[in-house]
Amino acid sequence: MIEYEHSDEIKMLRQTVREFVNKEIRPIAREIDEEERVPLDVIKKAGELGLLAVPFPEKYGGLELGITGYCVLMEELQRGDASIATIIGAHTQLCAMSIHLGGNEAQKDKYLRGLNRGTLIGAWALTEPNAGSDAAHISTTAELHGDEWVINGQKMWITNGSFADVIVVHAVTDKSKGARGGITAFIVEKDFPGFNVGKIEDKMGLRASHTASLYFEDMRVPAANVLGGVGHGFPLAMKTLDIGRCGLGGGAVGGAKEAFELSRQYAITRHQFGRPIAEFQAIQFKLAEMAVKIYTMEQIVYDTARKVDAGKNATLESSIVKLYCSEMASEVIDEAIQIHGGMGFSRELPLERMYRDARVTRIFEGTNEIQKSVIASELLKQVGYRIHRHEGVYPTPKHAPHS
Amino acid sequence: MHIVVCMKQVPRDNSVKINPDLSINADGIEKIINLFDEYAIEEGIIWNEKHGGKLTVLSMGADEWVEQMRRALAMGATDSLLLKDPAFATLDTIAAAKVVAAAIRKLGDVDLILTGRNSTDDESGAFAPALARILGWPQLTYVGKVIDVNPGSKTITAERHLETVVETVTAPLPAVVSVIKDINNPRYPSLLKIKKVAKVEPPVWTAADLGVSGLVPTVTVTQRVPPPPRPSGETIDGPDAATKVKKLVDKLLENQII
Ligand SMILES: Cc1cc2nc3c(=O)[nH]c(=O)nc-3n(C[C@H](O)[C@H](O)[C@H](O)COP(=O)(O)OP(=O)(O)OC[C@H]3O[C@@H](n4cnc5c(N)ncnc54)[C@H](O)[C@@H]3O)c2cc1C
Ligand SMILES: Cc1cc2nc3c(=O)[nH]c(=O)nc-3n(C[C@H](O)[C@H](O)[C@H](O)COP(=O)(O)OP(=O)(O)OC[C@H]3O[C@@H](n4cnc5c(N)ncnc54)[C@H](O)[C@@H]3O)c2cc1C
Repeated sequence: MIEYEHSDEIKMLRQTVREFVNKEIRPIAREIDEEERVPLDVIKKAGELGLLAVPFPEKYGGLELGITGYCVLMEELQRGDASIATIIGAHTQLCAMSIHLGGNEAQKDKYLRGLNRGTLIGAWALTEPNAGSDAAHISTTAELHGDEWVINGQKMWITNGSFADVIVVHAVTDKSKGARGGITAFIVEKDFPGFNVGKIEDKMGLRASHTASLYFEDMRVPAANVLGGVGHGFPLAMKTLDIGRCGLGGGAVGGAKEAFELSRQYAITRHQFGRPIAEFQAIQFKLAEMAVKIYTMEQIVYDTARKVDAGKNATLESSIVKLYCSEMASEVIDEAIQIHGGMGFSRELPLERMYRDARVTRIFEGTNEIQKSVIASELLKQVGYRIHRHEGVYPTPKHAPHS
Repeated sequence: MHIVVCMKQVPRDNSVKINPDLSINADGIEKIINLFDEYAIEEGIIWNEKHGGKLTVLSMGADEWVEQMRRALAMGATDSLLLKDPAFATLDTIAAAKVVAAAIRKLGDVDLILTGRNSTDDESGAFAPALARILGWPQLTYVGKVIDVNPGSKTITAERHLETVVETVTAPLPAVVSVIKDINNPRYPSLLKIKKVAKVEPPVWTAADLGVSGLVPTVTVTQRVPPPPRPSGETIDGPDAATKVKKLVDKLLENQII
């Protein structure tokens, strides 16, 4: 394949993650999928090594290798196992990222440091049973009683929610203000009274990554744990997702590269009709098309990552990355299964797991339909046109909704 | 105490291609630290952490080897040294050992040299013995456990893991030690050090710096042919498993294998 030219430090990061994946992740990937087991020991080891700290400042124990470094991390992790990449992704690019973006010194010292080292595991909770794409209309509430907030409501689909130590929870603090001004983010510890974990979803893929419902019954949160200021929760959530989207693209590149490598090897070793199947144009064209997709995915991921690292607004680019890479990874893995014939359908090879795991990347972190809305609205905004929204039963959020 | 680890960069061996003349084609293959050298580096770090001083990772190779030297630094080596010269490009094992020996003499204060048992690309296994011979130091090969490195008595005690016996040996320092796989569990490079070590440019010593000249390989490869194919084994046939097992056991008894 074509090697992307990264800096020396990013190359070193890649090699170390690759070794970690070969030693610690590949040998267990099939088993944790079958057992639906979260490999917490591996996550802890990753934390000790620094893999949970890639994009954050050195001041809080981070590696300061940017979103570029983070994308390379996701790429290499996803070559080994998408469940583990997702556990680390929700922890890093959602939970720790929102504390990095919105937290004050004391909060970063208390939480970001531990999240970086893996002594704390993080989750990030926005989605609710009745608010998925339409995240601006969450109904979990928080009321101030003295110096504590009292939170009531339910979250759903929360990755790491069942075992996380720290959960960033979004709740409505002023219904009259809507999403802009009415939603606040809170740093919740799992031991806060009133915090309860509900059922763990039985999913098609990412089976070693647990996704849980969370219930808050008069859950008490100290006022000091308001993240990013009262009323600033929704823009903070959108910014967190915006920055993190590249990471999903990075992971997709990793999955696609793995599928390609397996296919290329298979094509030269599998014989039918007296020759390697690589001799058939049907197979050659598949390999060529896969490589074209991977090359373009990788280019847009790292071009966008570079912009994010330079502090530029890359909402449009990040949405394109999320949409394109999630679609392309699914296509590449599907073709890889085709090249493997019956073996591609077998659990003996990782491809069927990768196929199941890849499917959700078109759904979470903002469905691909929502990405198209964002892309279109950003494009029209460039020429001064603001999309007219149909008024629903409640005011439509100004910003395109996603979670 | 000053420990030097000799490190080679090699292509990841499970993915190299073979040229038509049966030599190795490592083009485009990921470069890694020679497997055995990684154990040597870890062993060096263990004793450097215990006794302090310097742990130098030393390579005779091209500029690109710096990548692996930086990895060794991120694992815990304190210093690096690259021996680089156009004249070093085509050396055989003995000539390479002469160059490295010159560097060790120039360093002056080296107490212990650690190397891997062999490199996974050239497979000679003769580098450490040659180096020890040239320096006139004791050589401890096939070391599977270092029991003690004692800066006071200036000795090293180690286990040599031979085919049928484990030998415990003691030697005065300075000495040359080559280690086998699984002597320890090499740590991952510390990612927290990456940003710092990624900028390290190791000092470079050339043939002139070392005062070595007239290096010519004493061994030249004149031909490469594959080894003769191994004769295929014998298949034992029979109507059922019990008969086949009986035939097999009879055969093994007949040949006095069991
Ligand atoms: C495995 C997994 C892990 C997750 N982890 C987390 C997590 O850690 N934290 C968290 O907060 N959430 C998490 N989620 C939730 C995820 O972000 C949501 O599932 C996602 O935002 C979609 O919401 P929904 O499932 O309610 O679908 P809906 O919003 O109900 O969407 C249903 C369909 O309608 C389409 N649709 C909706 N609105 C529009 C529109 N305006 N225009 C066009 N089409 C539209 C959607 O594209 C989709 O096709 C996770 C989900 C999964 C599956
Ligand atoms: C769930 C399942 C159930 C099955 N049940 C049965 C059964 O009941 N009975 C039975 O007999 N078999 C059965 N099969 C086998 C099935 O028919 C084969 O898997 C199928 O014919 C493909 O063969 P293969 O897996 O060996 O792939 P291969 O033939 O090795 O094909 C690998 C790839 O090479 C391509 N290829 C091969 N030759 C050419 C060519 N000449 N030109 C272009 N491309 C080529 C293929 O399209 C494919 O993409 C089953 C398979 C599965 C997965």
